[in-house]
Amino acid sequence: MYRLFYTPTWFNGWDLIFEAISLLIVLLIAGYSWKIYRLSADNKFKYFSLAFILLAIGFTFKLITTGVLYYSALQKIADSVLQPIIQNKVTYADLFYRSGFFLQMVSMLGGWLLIFFVSQKSRARLTRFYEVSQIVLFLYLIVLISIVSNFQYFVFYLTCMVILGMVVLNYFKNYLNTDRNWNAFLVMDSFLLILISQLFFVFVFLWEELYILGEVFLLIGFLLLLFTYRRITKAA
Amino acid sequence: MGSRRSRLELVFDILQAIQNKGGAIKPTHLMYKSNLSHKLLSSYLDELILKEMIEIIEKEGKRRKVTKVVALTEKGSTFLAEFRRIKDFTEAFGL
Repeated sequence: MYRLFYTPTWFNGWDLIFEAISLLIVLLIAGYSWKIYRLSADNKFKYFSLAFILLAIGFTFKLITTGVLYYSALQKIADSVLQPIIQNKVTYADLFYRSGFFLQMVSMLGGWLLIFFVSQKSRARLTRFYEVSQIVLFLYLIVLISIVSNFQYFVFYLTCMVILGMVVLNYFKNYLNTDRNWNAFLVMDSFLLILISQLFFVFVFLWEELYILGEVFLLIGFLLLLFTYRRITKAA
Repeated sequence: MGSRRSRLELVFDILQAIQNKGGAIKPTHLMYKSNLSHKLLSSYLDELILKEMIEIIEKEGKRRKVTKVVALTEKGSTFLAEFRRIKDFTEAFGL
């Protein structure tokens, strides 16, 4: 059975619950950003919404792929669906899991990268031509990293760390520029916690239990985002 | 001199100026209330009409003289109500 890395067996299922919660949170934020876009027709809200939709897609693929890995009943269902199509030409399990992880990684990396671009102030961005070429280059790198990460998982989490590091920096600048706005501070902390979770995932090969810490920090990061979102939408 | 208003704040000022006048206002009055130049206001009005937040209607004034006024639409009213939350969201997420 193909796996990216090995995790504590007793934690199987709990990570799915954590990520299902994170999935709901990102969908909530994506939905609100889309609502603002419908009102203001300002493209940055559309791209911000798209970024969180990409994260949601990433979580969804992870839930599906990992769910099939954990539960034999789901494996049998996947087997019955895929076997007639692929037959015996390839190891279908390998194909299924590799595809699932690939799609998860491409979506997550795309989401983090889009958040990085959107959180940059426009004056800090390059002229249109260079911006387009920059985006094309990053798209290529995302696909390449996602393919490589199927064989060396830590490359994905390392790349997420780098992108999230830049996102945290952008939000730190935003916190200073908004006169130390409390909501901006909470958003910065949310992404910082998510960044720390990726650090734990990188070193899972040393100690399996780090996967649990990573999942916990990831969940706390998204819960803090949810808290910030509720603070904003509840305020009159 | 105060700091420059963001695009969102400018849109809010324009819509609020219309709302404060009962939902419809003459373009000249709007220019003074929103503290914008004629050129800038015109560009914003064009954009807001496109986004269906305002509309230009003909209103009968004094001595049955028909004048054009800028009126707030339902979408514009919704934006005004949501503005505080939108502003907080924009600031928090650096948009």
